[in-house]
Amino acid sequence: MHLQVSWRNVWRNPKRTGIILTAIIIGAWTMLAFGALSRGMMTSTLSNALNTLTGHIQIQHPAFRDDPVIDNRLTAPARVADVLEQHLPGNAAFAFRIQVNGVASNARNSESITIVGIDPAKEAGLSFYGDNTAQGKLLAPGDYRGIVVGQALLDSFETKIGRKLVLMTRDATLETASKAFKIRGTFRAEMEATEKQFVFITLDAAQSFLKAGTGVTSACIKLPEETTMDLEALAKTAKALARELPEGTAVLTWVDLLPLLKGYLSMFDSFMLLWYLVVFVAMAFGLTNTMLMAVLERTREFGLLKALGMKPSWIIRNVLLECLILLAIGLAAGNILGFATVQALSGGIDMSFMAEGSEFFGIGHLVIPYITLKDLLSVNAVIMGLGVLVCLYPAVKAGRITPVEAMSHT
Amino acid sequence: MELLMAWRNVWRNPRRTILTILAIAFACILLVFMLSLQIGMYEVMINTAVKTRTGHMQVLADGYNQDHKIRKVISDPEAVARILDDTPHITGYTFRANGFALLSSDQRTYGGLITGVDPVSEPRISNIKSIIRKGRFLSPSDTNSAVIGSLLAKRLKIDLGDELVVLGSARDGAIAATVLTVAGIFSSGMDDYDRSAIQIPLAHFQEVFAMEGTVHEAVITCDSLWNVGSAQTAISKAVAGLEQKRRLTCLSWDELTPGLVQSIQMDLGGGLIFYGILLIMVAFSIMNTFLMAVFERTREFGTLMAIGARPGRLTTMLVYESAFLTLCGIGLGIGAGCLLTLWAQHAGIPMGDAEGMLRQYGIPGLIRPKLTLATALAGPAVVFLITMLTALYPAVKVHRIIPVDAMRAA
Amino acid sequence: MEHTPNHMVEIIDVSKTYTQGKLEVHALAGISLALDRGEFTALAGPSGSGKTTLLNLIGGLDSPSCGRIVLDGKEVTGLSQSRLADMRLNKIGFVFQAYNIIPVLSARENVEYVMLMQGVPAKERTDRARAILDEVGLANMHDRRPAELSGGQQQRVAVARAIVSRPAIVLADEPTANLDSATGQGLLEMMAKMNEKRGVTFIFSTHDKMVMEYARRIVRLKDGLVSDDTTK
Repeated sequence: MHLQVSWRNVWRNPKRTGIILTAIIIGAWTMLAFGALSRGMMTSTLSNALNTLTGHIQIQHPAFRDDPVIDNRLTAPARVADVLEQHLPGNAAFAFRIQVNGVASNARNSESITIVGIDPAKEAGLSFYGDNTAQGKLLAPGDYRGIVVGQALLDSFETKIGRKLVLMTRDATLETASKAFKIRGTFRAEMEATEKQFVFITLDAAQSFLKAGTGVTSACIKLPEETTMDLEALAKTAKALARELPEGTAVLTWVDLLPLLKGYLSMFDSFMLLWYLVVFVAMAFGLTNTMLMAVLERTREFGLLKALGMKPSWIIRNVLLECLILLAIGLAAGNILGFATVQALSGGIDMSFMAEGSEFFGIGHLVIPYITLKDLLSVNAVIMGLGVLVCLYPAVKAGRITPVEAMSHT
Repeated sequence: MELLMAWRNVWRNPRRTILTILAIAFACILLVFMLSLQIGMYEVMINTAVKTRTGHMQVLADGYNQDHKIRKVISDPEAVARILDDTPHITGYTFRANGFALLSSDQRTYGGLITGVDPVSEPRISNIKSIIRKGRFLSPSDTNSAVIGSLLAKRLKIDLGDELVVLGSARDGAIAATVLTVAGIFSSGMDDYDRSAIQIPLAHFQEVFAMEGTVHEAVITCDSLWNVGSAQTAISKAVAGLEQKRRLTCLSWDELTPGLVQSIQMDLGGGLIFYGILLIMVAFSIMNTFLMAVFERTREFGTLMAIGARPGRLTTMLVYESAFLTLCGIGLGIGAGCLLTLWAQHAGIPMGDAEGMLRQYGIPGLIRPKLTLATALAGPAVVFLITMLTALYPAVKVHRIIPVDAMRAA
Repeated sequence: MEHTPNHMVEIIDVSKTYTQGKLEVHALAGISLALDRGEFTALAGPSGSGKTTLLNLIGGLDSPSCGRIVLDGKEVTGLSQSRLADMRLNKIGFVFQAYNIIPVLSARENVEYVMLMQGVPAKERTDRARAILDEVGLANMHDRRPAELSGGQQQRVAVARAIVSRPAIVLADEPTANLDSATGQGLLEMMAKMNEKRGVTFIFSTHDKMVMEYARRIVRLKDGLVSDDTTK
């Protein structure tokens, strides 16, 4: 009954209701759509960073992070492997790597690069390696002389597949090690900087090149995709591993490994909340004003109802109910539009028209917007909760109308 | 009289008017503040890039900017210097040469980018002297002294007075080797730069890398960013006419760092979309006010038409009303927006978690907006346009009022 | 009925039909009427007899379904909206039952506004407004807003506004209906004076006995037709 009366009151002035509904719908819709787009960008940035040899969790020698040299290596990876195999969830993957800085040179150029020794069988799927081969082929297990470089690096060294590239670094005995490798293939990465930074050789080749025995510098663990943003679960997994692993190992999550990125993402989060509030405030002025008009033009009616014995609290309740109906319709339509937009863009948005700009921010070329439950809830909660709050003003105003002043009102 | 009527009409319903004015003011405040903030940030980003690395312009051998190959040199710097001395708006210039080399301390080896700089003219162009955290900058009497990035120093485990062995390839393809003594350690805040950069006297660089008096870059500063364009054209024309082994070009800061410009465009583009949505929200928020102002006065308009007012006269009056309302809101918005911006400009806005990330773009811990005439007025001008457009709809609709019906209404 | 230029208003076989929902309402069913210059005429009849419709048609606020209306020798039927507006501005003064004066303007400003639209110079406007307000008996209330005036006073402002533009005819739709009888009588006396002194043609619609006493000609309407036409 109340609902029915309120419903009719809402549609007494369809034009006015239509306008304010449009405002609420656009508000909810853009909040959701832009929330989804921002999430997409964040995820793209993050997965880009994690794919660039970070992974979700790394197990390293405690000193390696500050001083990434071969001296600071894990000397007994077999024990680490045992622990990981036992304690990681079944859908997680891991691989050992040797990762040190060095110099690549040929007759044409020499550049500072990062030498990455990988297990060819396990590395694919763990990082961008193997995702996108531009030319030639990837490393075969047991290949002691092959190297895979980025396409951009190949271009800047003015060389091609099959040619030699000399790597130089300091080995475990503190001597300068230098060896020529044969370029087997090139990879493409989201960012040119990545293509220029990393060169891949096999783990076996790296171990012998650096005289590192069976040692590795890190174990890189990749958990299922959906746990990426679940920082609590991540920390829990890391802690559990740390308990089991032998002395002399450090367990680092991507939050430890990429503190800057973490800060950036949390800034993004608070920026989004701020954005929700700003859009809401713009909407709130209209909502309050419309409800105020709706209430004031019914002064006589409220006066009459009061004269008939209706309590102020009932009047307030009725006005709030009208407001609630407006908000509910607006939110429903806004949510549908929001989801439809995200669905329409589910193929991803190609950012390559801004390649250098997005590379500057570390965003990948393809951004796929998506809506998280948290965003959905916060958008609806902000609009619904604060919406009812601002409607309190006209509602209380209506509750205070006295029969006498109502009758003198023309 | 119309103006007077409009003014009085605006204040017939003070509550509604104030809410509408606040909505308009809110949009203006936000736009003034955000635009100032963005412009302020861009300016700092550009200035940092200009001051630490690029200068306002550089004269380079054609193609050097793409791959930084050591052989692409300016063979006769003196000739370039003569041109620069004669070009207006130029406030200073210095020559640099860059080479990649393997840097070894007692314990560690890393690749780094060695830049030969002129100890006298370099501090006039860049901020290197002010970012020295330990020790001192190079002096004209230095030969094999170096200033080195703080992160590189940490990685190499060296400090002031320690020795550093340099091994690279010289311009002629021979081995370039020297031993440097650390005279100073600098920190720009940008990790990538601090992790790889090292500066030595230009003369020593030319000797070690067999440069034979040649350089790679002439780094130029201008009296203002606005004069870069004209100075660049003049220099380009002049250097193109020089008899040099390689064709020379003159690039401006934005061409030297395309990522920076694109990232600014991206940020600005994203901002503009946000502002667009905000404005749409505000437009819908206040449209009801304008619409109601017409509909609740239908009877009055009917009377005015009955006593002989043409519809155009009513439209004029309504436009005056909206203009008053809008101007009040905009005036208030600009005032409050400027105050808020000036306060933030004075106090600075802490960025919390994101500080580390922003530092990489050359933005220091506190963000300061920068209020200019353009940032103070551009947003409100658009708000004015949008609100007037919104108001036009009811103002034109008044034409459709038929006096008889209008008088019967209410 | 012959066509003589001496007639102020000529209504020739005018009918007006409204549609209310699916119902057709014949407000006027073919009326012919001529009113002379300087007349003080009352249109009488029960509500729904077509009085107000007839006034609206004469004033160009509404257009007839068929028939013609000639005002001061000029055909009114079929004029454009802005022509009609000009005609109302210069030839017709309106007085409404519900006063309908502009709430945001003072008494003097209400009166001046019409002259402003006519393009009367500012000085003359003020002088004429003061004079007419004094004449309608609002000598001390020039600067009051409608909210500060009683109903009778507001209606006097409306009469002043209607007359000040020097119209050929003043149309008053139930001008006394919202006033008590003493106030209504005062207003009527004032209007009768205006009629005598200035020769302004007045047409009222009314069902007020008192108004009919003042009128010199009473046209009675019934069901959209003239049932009686008496000149005293």
